[in-house]
Order: sequence, then structure tokens, then C-alpha cells
Amino acid sequence: MTDMLTYPDVVQLAVPFFIAAILIELLWIVIKKRGGRYETRDAVTSLVMGAGNVVSGILLGFIAWGFFMVLWEITPLDLGTSWWVVALCFVLDDLRYYWVHRFGHRVRWVWASHVNHHSSQHYNLTTALRQTWTGTFTFMMIIRAPLILLGFHPAMVLFCGGLNLIYQFWIHTEAIGRMPRWFEAVMNTPSHHRVHHGRNPRYLDANYAGVFIIWDKMFGTFVAEDDKEKVDFGLVHNLGTFNPLRVAFHEWIAIFKDVTQPGISFKDRLAYAFAPPGWSHDGSRQTSEMIKERHKAANKAATGN
Amino acid sequence: MPITVLAALVVFGIAGIAVLTVLFGFNKRRSFSDIEDAHRAWLREFPELEPRDITLSQDGCHALVQTNQGAGIVWSMGADSAARLLSGARVEQSAKGLDLRLPDYTAPRIRAALSPDQQTTWLNRIKDTP
Repeated sequence: MTDMLTYPDVVQLAVPFFIAAILIELLWIVIKKRGGRYETRDAVTSLVMGAGNVVSGILLGFIAWGFFMVLWEITPLDLGTSWWVVALCFVLDDLRYYWVHRFGHRVRWVWASHVNHHSSQHYNLTTALRQTWTGTFTFMMIIRAPLILLGFHPAMVLFCGGLNLIYQFWIHTEAIGRMPRWFEAVMNTPSHHRVHHGRNPRYLDANYAGVFIIWDKMFGTFVAEDDKEKVDFGLVHNLGTFNPLRVAFHEWIAIFKDVTQPGISFKDRLAYAFAPPGWSHDGSRQTSEMIKERHKAANKAATGN
Repeated sequence: MPITVLAALVVFGIAGIAVLTVLFGFNKRRSFSDIEDAHRAWLREFPELEPRDITLSQDGCHALVQTNQGAGIVWSMGADSAARLLSGARVEQSAKGLDLRLPDYTAPRIRAALSPDQQTTWLNRIKDTP
């Protein structure tokens, strides 16, 4: 069994590239006067969230690693370290990412961690770095368990996850319109991912892919960017603060308040934690499905179709 | 990568990008150009809650909105905007305007620059909100 396998921490190694790419995008926007927007406090908040994500990984990473190594001890399978195993691991880990990401939007407990990534009203390369500080507490590391039980070494799985994250960096931009058609058909691109960050009803809960957009096409969650409907970036209810602590923890606090409110049933308390974001026991809030349905109905009434 | 090098990259990277955005003028706060601009910003957050009346602040960065669910406020968040209903808000007068404290972890405090006359008008309109 390959116990002492190590791979480079590719995300840390990519930090200089991230900074250089942000500077290039910023200069591009200034020189060309198009291709996106920057705002000082928004960008700083995103970058501080990114730094906090690295710190939380250093402080809490041992939990996921310990869990993975226990699985690695249990499994009798070891696929080794050849290049095709790494390639297969990358593809399967991207499928894993699709489902974790989908849960991140459909289960409030996971959304509480992921929401901060969507909390910017801008869409530029700093938004890519607006990452969670609380991912460990979603326990989504469980979704990686099948990969390790199948015989992919934990270090390889994390290496592929890092490459996945780096791939997703460059798609957070308005500076790139569309890629060649064949590329748009297979890969996640700036265009596809802009849709994912949209708060327009028709763009909600779409395009969960990390690297390969084919997962969305396979599982029915793909929505193409419509040039007639410009993407409005941010949350359905945008934050009124740039404070990174509030950005990081606001949804967890909202869950706590909802779950501990008096006069509701145990089932309601569970639903406040695990139902889709926007669920409420009295129907006073709207889930993304409800928003989409209302939007469809309003459009139908307006156009008569 | 040694942790000290990583820390230096992160700190100087964030600081450098922040300074550049300021030098390029990307730190300017949005102000609503007119009532219609504030109206659009309100509807962006509350598309089903049509305002009955909108009052802009002196600097154009805040607008008080009257709706059939009580008063609300739409204000500039950097280059963009945010909006909230004012139910449960505590309002205090200050030398420069009104200080609104909301029972909302995502928008705890909003400071609107208002003339003394505007402060009186806003206070009267907000006080009827539950």
C-alpha cells in the first residue's frame, strides 16, 4: 500500500500566479475600459476571504486528512500512482465536486459555508478567491470517501482537488466572452460560470460544474448564458457589509436563529438547517425554485406564452 | 512553499491590489443619480415590493423607501447597492445625519448623511414602521 505518497500543494504554489493574473485583469479593465469591474472594498474582502481560507485549511485540514487516512487504512484497494490513475482521479474528483457544489446550493447547512463565494456583486478574479472559512463543518469530505475506498490515495485526491480549484480561478472573469465552441461544449468557461454567479431568476441554481460542464448537461442543470439577459452578480438578498467576519459566518448565525426560534416543531428546526436555502415554516421566504416559478409565471402573463 | 514566503505574498499581494484599485479610482462610492436610479436599485432587491414614495439623501448614497410593508432603505454598497426593510430598526440622530441599527447580521449599521430638515422627515416616516 502506498502510504507515504506526497504531491505538491498546488494551490499554495499558484498564489503568485493568482496575484499576477489579478493585476493583468485589473490593468486590462483600466486600459480597455471594458471586461469587468473592480471596487476596492469588495476586492479586499474577497482577498481576505481567500487568505482566511488558506489559514482555515492549515488549522483544520487535519480533520479531513485524518478521515481520509482512516479510509485508506480500511480499503483493500490501491490503484497506484501511474499517470492514467491521476487522470481518472481528476475526472472522478470533478464529478465529486459537481455534487458537493450542488449540495452547496440545495442544502442550507452546506450553503452556509458556500454562500460567501457568491456574496460579491462583482465578478472578477478576486471573486474566485472569495472562499469559505467553514468548509470543514459541512462534512462534505464524506463525498470524497468513495474515491479513497476505490483505491485512489488521499494525497492524489487532494492534489486533483487543488488542480480543480486552480482551473476554476480563471473562469471568474468578465474579460473573456466566449471560448471556442468545442471548448464551451465540454469545459466549464467564464460564460458558463457567470451564469452560475447570477442572481437573475433564470440563472439560479445552474452550472455547478468545476472543470467539465458535461456534468451539468448530464444531470439537467445546464443553463447557457443569454446575451439578451445580462448576468446580475451576487445574492438574491445582497449583503450590506464588507466585514469578512460577517461574510464568513452570517448564514451560520441565521441558521442558529431560525433553528432556535420558539414555537416551531422539531421537523421545522431540521428543515431550517438542511432544507434548501429560503425554506421557511410559514412560507414567508422564497427558495430559488419558488423564485424561478414566480418569474416564469410573471413572464408567461406578460407575454401570453 | 515556506509559510513566511506565503504570508508575505498574501499580505503584500492584498495591499498592492488594494492600492492599485484606489489609484485607478475604483474606490468611489456609488451615489444614486436620481429617484429613478434608487427605485431601480430597490426593485433589484425587492422586485415584488413596489415603492409608494422614495426620498434621496443629500449625498445621494441613501434613499428612504415607503412600501405597503413599511419603510425601507436602499443604499450604496461600494459601487453597488443593498436594500432592507426597516422593521425593528433603532434610529439615532447624529451630527451628520441618521444612524440606523438593524437587527440584521448582514447589515447591522447604516449611516445616512442628512440635513436637519431631512432628518426630521425621515424620522417621521420611519416611526410608523413596526
